[in-house]
Amino acid sequence: MARLGTRVPNTPGNSFIHRHAAYIAVVPVLLVALCFYFGSTVWSLVMSLTASKIFPDMHFVGLRQYLRLFNDDLWILSLHNLVFFVLGSLGSLVLGFILAVLLDGKAVGERVFRTVYLYPLAISLIITGLVWQWLFNPSMGLQQFFRDLGLKNFNFNWVGDKSKVMYALILAAVWQSAGFYMVLSSSGIKSIDSEIWQASRIDGISKLRMYFEVIIPMMKFTFLTAFVLLSIGAVKAYDIIVAMTNGGPGGHSELPSYYIVDMYMYRHNIAVGASGSTILLLLVVVFMIPFGVVNLILKKRK
Amino acid sequence: MTTASHRRPLHAGPIVIYALLLIASVVYLTPVLVQLVTGLKSFQEVSLSRMWQLPKSLSFESFAKAWSGAYQGLTGLSVNFMNSVYLTVPATLISAALGSMNGYVLAKWKFRGANILFPMLLFGMFIPYQSILIPLVRVLQDMHLYGTRGGLIFVHIVYGIPITTLIFRNYYAAIPDELIEASKIDGAGILGIYALILFPLSLPGFVVVMIWQFTSIWNDFLFAVIITSKPSLQPITVALNNLAGSFSVEWNVQMAGALIAALPTLLVYIFLSRYFMSGLLAGSVKG
Repeated sequence: MARLGTRVPNTPGNSFIHRHAAYIAVVPVLLVALCFYFGSTVWSLVMSLTASKIFPDMHFVGLRQYLRLFNDDLWILSLHNLVFFVLGSLGSLVLGFILAVLLDGKAVGERVFRTVYLYPLAISLIITGLVWQWLFNPSMGLQQFFRDLGLKNFNFNWVGDKSKVMYALILAAVWQSAGFYMVLSSSGIKSIDSEIWQASRIDGISKLRMYFEVIIPMMKFTFLTAFVLLSIGAVKAYDIIVAMTNGGPGGHSELPSYYIVDMYMYRHNIAVGASGSTILLLLVVVFMIPFGVVNLILKKRK
Repeated sequence: MTTASHRRPLHAGPIVIYALLLIASVVYLTPVLVQLVTGLKSFQEVSLSRMWQLPKSLSFESFAKAWSGAYQGLTGLSVNFMNSVYLTVPATLISAALGSMNGYVLAKWKFRGANILFPMLLFGMFIPYQSILIPLVRVLQDMHLYGTRGGLIFVHIVYGIPITTLIFRNYYAAIPDELIEASKIDGAGILGIYALILFPLSLPGFVVVMIWQFTSIWNDFLFAVIITSKPSLQPITVALNNLAGSFSVEWNVQMAGALIAALPTLLVYIFLSRYFMSGLLAGSVKG
């Protein structure tokens, strides 16, 4: 027993289960983590070095699959789209922050507004994607609505237009997740000392200037966390593409996450898919670095 | 953007703020209104009128069709709705129970190796699932769980462990150690302390974790589409996507189907939104 807790007094001699309970509880989790988190990732890494097609095959070919991957125009296009998608997803943070600021004055009905902005987080991205696909439908959706209102040249057929389809995905994604960044920003704003506001009142500094010159710089760690979360979210985005565009038209809304599943399931090329998934994992790791840096800084401060 | 008034009312401020908040609300509610309006129209009316016009008379025909009507190769959504229920309920309960036990051990029992487990769980939470899909399918095949509901439940439990454990760990870390020390002196073991002290104290934590798991399992698509290929076993997200992809299905039926699929998590959200929000923060920030 003594080894388990730090300051455990001498308890009556316990059974084996009592003495080792912490380990007994943890071993299954440890095994799951080793097999299903690490083992599986390593297995995919190994697969990416083989000639596997529809079935796993242990014939090693070195980095040839990565060469094939990066010679595939569709993969390159999906990486371009991802950069665009990550940048566009920043819109969630901007919109979320603005909503948090607007709601910060403890406006009447604040709770109702919050509930409205957050509900998309409760529904599946498949549903979000379908609904937005309908809204973008040229003959039924927003385009027809505004044309009926008299704006004859209003063009909202973004899903069918290869140069605009990524904007359509970004719009739906921002609509879906801005509420989350509103909650995150709100908790960041609330953690700022109220004395700062009083000081600004005495000095006669305007609200707007306060936000831009004091509050936003003070919230840099909140924003960094938000950026990490939204870029990882963008790297993993899959459902919304399936529901809205299926990667089309002509791969112009394809993201790496979609490309990989397509490789596995429909193009039956496990090795190329696995190479793609290694790159995807690498991207997540890269995006997590700022997270670790922030944690280190915060720990040092304490 | 004139901003909110902290203790100091602005003259033009409130009007501008409310105007902006209302505009945002309209943008947020439009998609659901469109679903409702179209879902409540009969087929004749959908083909005649625009998506935006209110139905002339309420018709629940599209909901009935989406729920039970069979289309080529597609069953009514009722089967898939129940599949989602049979999948989500056990997976949520089991992963909450596991998360609670792990969180307790991680937060309150200092043991060698605890420092390794924590980053491992973080890794499990952030890996893109594309990196584990192929081995996952192989392992499930070896376990004779591939293509079954049990297999999908198992997968949701396995990949739910990190988030549930981390939420509970944060929750238990806030419970004072003295409480635990006292009952250790009284001779309570690890299980006794859990059952007598932590479990009753952590019921709100259970609500948060269960809402989180319920929502993410109900809404999952990737695991479901990879693991269940038989339409009669597929959860509602997959069935809805198939329904929408089939050109023979009318718009009103698709929209009614989308609403049916959204309803359970929306209801949970509306009635338990306080817990939903703390789950969001606990899960994604402190993680």
